[in-house]
Amino acid sequence: MSLTRRKLLHLLGLLGAPTVFLLIFFFGPLVIMLVYSFLTPGIYGGVDWIFSHLNYGRILGWADTRYEKFDPVYLAIFLRSLRLATLTVATSLIVSYPAAFWISRMRPGRRDFAIFLVTLPFFVSLIVRLFAWVLILRPTGFLNQGLMGIGLTSEPIEFLYTDFAVVLGMTYVFIPFMFLPLYSSIEKLDMAQLEASSDLGATRLQTFRKVVLPATMPGIIGGSIITFIPALGNFIVPSVLGGAKVLMIGNLIEQQFLSARNWPFGSALAMMVMTAVLVLLIVQLRLTRRGEHA
Amino acid sequence: MPSHLEIINARKAFRTPEGGRLIALDGISLRLATAEFVTLLGPSGCGKTTLLRTISGFETLDDGDVVIDGIAMTQTPAHRRPVNTVFQRYALFDHMNVARNVGYALEIAGRDKREIRTRVGEMLELVGLTGMEKRSISQLSGGQQQRVALARALAGKPKLLLLDEPLSALDKNLRQKMQHELKTIQRELGIGFVFVTHDQEEALTMSDRIAVLAHGQIQQVEPPSVLYQRPANLFTADFLGESNLLRATLDGSQARLSDGQTFDAPRAAGEATLLLRPESLGFAVPEGPKLSFTGRIRETYYSGKDHQIELETLAFGTIRAVIRANGTVPEIGREVTLHASATGLHLIDEVAP
Ligand SMILES: Nc1ncnc2c1ncn2[C@@H]1O[C@H](COP(=O)(O)OP(=O)(O)OP(=O)(O)O)[C@@H](O)[C@H]1O
Ligand SMILES: [Mg+2]
Repeated sequence: MSLTRRKLLHLLGLLGAPTVFLLIFFFGPLVIMLVYSFLTPGIYGGVDWIFSHLNYGRILGWADTRYEKFDPVYLAIFLRSLRLATLTVATSLIVSYPAAFWISRMRPGRRDFAIFLVTLPFFVSLIVRLFAWVLILRPTGFLNQGLMGIGLTSEPIEFLYTDFAVVLGMTYVFIPFMFLPLYSSIEKLDMAQLEASSDLGATRLQTFRKVVLPATMPGIIGGSIITFIPALGNFIVPSVLGGAKVLMIGNLIEQQFLSARNWPFGSALAMMVMTAVLVLLIVQLRLTRRGEHA
Repeated sequence: MPSHLEIINARKAFRTPEGGRLIALDGISLRLATAEFVTLLGPSGCGKTTLLRTISGFETLDDGDVVIDGIAMTQTPAHRRPVNTVFQRYALFDHMNVARNVGYALEIAGRDKREIRTRVGEMLELVGLTGMEKRSISQLSGGQQQRVALARALAGKPKLLLLDEPLSALDKNLRQKMQHELKTIQRELGIGFVFVTHDQEEALTMSDRIAVLAHGQIQQVEPPSVLYQRPANLFTADFLGESNLLRATLDGSQARLSDGQTFDAPRAAGEATLLLRPESLGFAVPEGPKLSFTGRIRETYYSGKDHQIELETLAFGTIRAVIRANGTVPEIGREVTLHASATGLHLIDEVAP
């Protein structure tokens, strides 16, 4: 009895602080956002405690009052965010997978150094790094000058403020997020199994499809999710590299809170992002469950 | 008899992480007749696994060639060689269940589902794992995993099977059963086996021929009985079974042991080593010429079917003998004389340094 009590106290001591922290700083704001998204914006910012579902109506199509009017642009921006985040996941996966494979087969010393290099960008401010991309991509930037210099193009190409620039920037920012989980599952890959597969007649491609891919699927799923979530809500990359042309949902939310001062609408937009992420997590859970049973 | 597998002067050196060069295969030549069962026997690290890997195509030779059914394999990648392997560390696909592991070669070959299922069932029955199709690899014991590895390698009907210590994780009974099964499978399917084992008894009972390896070289390749009775050098004599190795001086017609005993040895004069297997020594006095050793019994070991005796002699140090256990247990400390017939003795043209 006293032993279990002590164990319980011990557990409380260990988990108490993080639990309280999460309750106050994670669930608290979430609940506030959820509540706000069903309120009416105050005239001078803040909220009036009057229930309203029109914040969602503005996004999804049933609001039709003078101030709260449905505009398909919000949904379009939301869909674009989903598309750009998905593209970011795809490109970082394509870049990271071979890199992780290659690095995992290096000698230990070089391997650690290579992993250090992958995480190196974390040491420099994100804003600085993104402005470096502006210098590269703008009409008079390195890329255009290079292309014109070797005669491939005669006029500068609009790289900056396009979907391309945003996906490029986000891929650049989130590659470590994709790389590390991928690496940890690829590193565990048993080379002997690849040999066994080839011994039993499989070509490299077949071995990849039937052995490598299934064995590293946890890393692919994990990396994709922790890349997708911040990419979906990101507003720094689109505001620097997308400008006003490539707005993402994160920019919209930022505007609602900081410029338009319409907190309820901003909250409703944020809840849309939350819902998308939750749906994704549920799908992932289903997928991995099924994977375990097979 | 046509040769099925031919290894010609295979050489392979590894660069070690410490910067040195390690010669794993030092000019190995070996032929395997169709449906022959050849065992590679040798101490740990002598290059057995490396040799198998050059046959299956996972190591490229520095020099020499591997020829299967008359076709040089140097340019053939592993997946197109008609060879399957039972790996020393199994290398089972742990994200697949037992059935998919065993059916993998057929799945790759694009066979239809029903055929695969039937064949997998047959293979599992063969290795005594009937009904385990749906198990995941992590739910199997080490011995069961080893048998899945065996079933997986056999399912695709390879022309040549390479087995790297395939029975090492099994208990004695299962091991004996599998030894018989393997031998039967090999004979019935008529495929060649290159078999690696550390177990001498296993090598002796199963093989058509045994190749003894040491330091990346083949010491001797012979049928088990020849290898046991007439080893070519001291290493083979010592490695395979128990032996008494006595130095002998030859004068062209006679050999003389260090205590003065002589026996007929019509061969060139010089130094040589006499091999006396423990079971050729006994208390009974044989007819005709004989060798005798007198000494004190230092130790006896009882093994169920026989007694092993260590005799302490003045001239030769310890001499080992094996006496069938039929009642009379020799006493430790007693002075006795052991005899061996002096006909058909085997001399090795090499002396211990
Ligand atoms: N990839 C490699 N790099 C460097 N050295 C190697 C490599 N593979 C094997 N060796 C070395 O080559 C020698 C032969 O190895 P091999 O695995 O063929 O031995 P083995 O006879 O199978 O031993 P065991 O009976 O213990 O399995 C060993 O000394 C080993 O350390
Ligand atoms: Mg080995």
